Amino acid sequence: MLHQYRLRWWTFAVIAAVALLILVPFAWMVATALMTPGQTLLVPPKVIPNPATLDGARGVFDRIPYLTLLGNTVVASIGRVIGTLVICTLAAYALAVIKVPGARVILVTVLALIMVPGDIFIVPNFAIISAFGLTDTLVALFLPSIFDVFGVFLLYQFFRGIPRELVEAARMDGASHLRILTTIVAPIARGGLITLAILTVLSEWKELLWPIVVNRSIDKLTLGPGIALLRGSYTTDYNVLMSAGVLAALPMIVIFLILQKRFIASVARSGLK
Amino acid sequence: MTNVTLRRTAGVEEGLRRPVVRRKPGRRDARIGFLFLLPLFAGLLVFRFYGFGYNVWLSFNKAGAFGRARFTGLENYERLFSDSQLRISLVNTFKFTAIVVPGVVVVALLCATLMQYKFRGQSAFRAIVFLPAVCLPTAAILLFGWLFQTRYGLVNAVIQAVGGSSVSWFGSSAGVTVVITVIVVFLSFSVPTIILYAGMQEIPSDIYESATLDGAGPVRRYFSLTLPLLSPSLFFVILTTTISTLKLFDVAYVLLPPEQSASVNYGLTAVYYYYQLAFLNVGDRGYASAVSLLLFVLILAVSIVLFRLQRRFVHYGEDG
Repeated sequence: MLHQYRLRWWTFAVIAAVALLILVPFAWMVATALMTPGQTLLVPPKVIPNPATLDGARGVFDRIPYLTLLGNTVVASIGRVIGTLVICTLAAYALAVIKVPGARVILVTVLALIMVPGDIFIVPNFAIISAFGLTDTLVALFLPSIFDVFGVFLLYQFFRGIPRELVEAARMDGASHLRILTTIVAPIARGGLITLAILTVLSEWKELLWPIVVNRSIDKLTLGPGIALLRGSYTTDYNVLMSAGVLAALPMIVIFLILQKRFIASVARSGLK
Repeated sequence: MTNVTLRRTAGVEEGLRRPVVRRKPGRRDARIGFLFLLPLFAGLLVFRFYGFGYNVWLSFNKAGAFGRARFTGLENYERLFSDSQLRISLVNTFKFTAIVVPGVVVVALLCATLMQYKFRGQSAFRAIVFLPAVCLPTAAILLFGWLFQTRYGLVNAVIQAVGGSSVSWFGSSAGVTVVITVIVVFLSFSVPTIILYAGMQEIPSDIYESATLDGAGPVRRYFSLTLPLLSPSLFFVILTTTISTLKLFDVAYVLLPPEQSASVNYGLTAVYYYYQLAFLNVGDRGYASAVSLLLFVLILAVSIVLFRLQRRFVHYGEDG
């Protein structure tokens, strides 16, 4: 634990100022979302929407298929989490518990791939996905990202700490590796799996470039790129734009407020040394 | 706690019995191990290795969205040197990175330090600091676009209220740079804050006590103890923020749609330019591939430079 400083009034003032600087933009988003178009175009702006209206939200539902986008986001996130967890768990088990011959070399390759910015190559990834005939599908959204070398390394670190005796004993009893993985290793390393799941969901949530490249029809997009389509064509309707922002940002904020501790612990663990 | 002791004793026992117990995986075990690695290998082979090879091959060709690629030798690479749009996008990208990374480090250090204090509402403050990390980036970018709107935006209203004159944020390179860097710092300081906060928690408090006894004041303690002992976390934060800002796309794309040709160059990033080359209009995928390879090399080079600097400046504890 770090030495606790005494809290002076000006420290508290800084804390309050930082909190306000973060919250004011969000408050302004909500306020604008509840205005009429006319109210958004006042100089100087009025801060409180009066009368408050849900016209903006109605405008969102008229212009983009919000529920489809939300559903797609959920499906893509779940698909990506399951795919990532399965692939990374299997690989990390082979490297950390079975210790296949050449595990060191494989691990070094994995570490090197983490450092290499391979994810910028959207042109070949698009070519591969079209060769599979998967463009404009939900699978295309997450397929390239489930082979997650970072996840392999993260789980490897968790699996490495599992006492060898447990695995050996289960082997003596004739348990298969898949059984050991699901009944011994995965429960012990639960924290690692949850961490990887949360980091994966957050990363899918932020995707923008890949979805707009691989899926052209709006029915197959996720929330981020979906509401990005509202910009430009409806620039004057800021109440609609901000309603879309609120509606799109809300699901993850609610999940975060419920699972706050897990989110923060996961992110703290992502800082590998 | 029990877990740790368990692991420790296990280690000791293993050490004592090592020559007898330590066994290599049998052939059957190894076969199952490789079976477990197969999905990962297959995916990496297709998306990383084949993809990279295909990208290199494509960079020597003229290829659009339709039709066959035509071999053109080094033509695409020659074009890299004469492409003024590419130069603009690279200058912008490095400019944004040069501003964003120090900005993120300073804001994250400030917030992480504030989180060390004990006060009422501490956990609420932690949640607020983390909020930008879970906010949908597109929503936040649209929101800031609205805040910085020239005629009706809140920022200009505040500037006018305190007696300044309103700024045309999207009308100049400097204005766009301010808007983009504010958004990127806002969207990316939360995770570094948590990482630095976790790093500060690991610093043992007896170091501070002995420093205080030696007469070091709070400022001295912060700069001579906290920051050096935090340098591994700081390095990690700088590295990841640098790489992600060099790949910046979403802010430029949402804020400056390709149709708004007037101000788009002020915020054109390298990845945004790459996207435009490859996927707007007919697509110039051969040249786009050459651009992406250049960007790939640049990001790799920056990472290597940072790792070199790390050896000189980062202080790892005796046990780390």
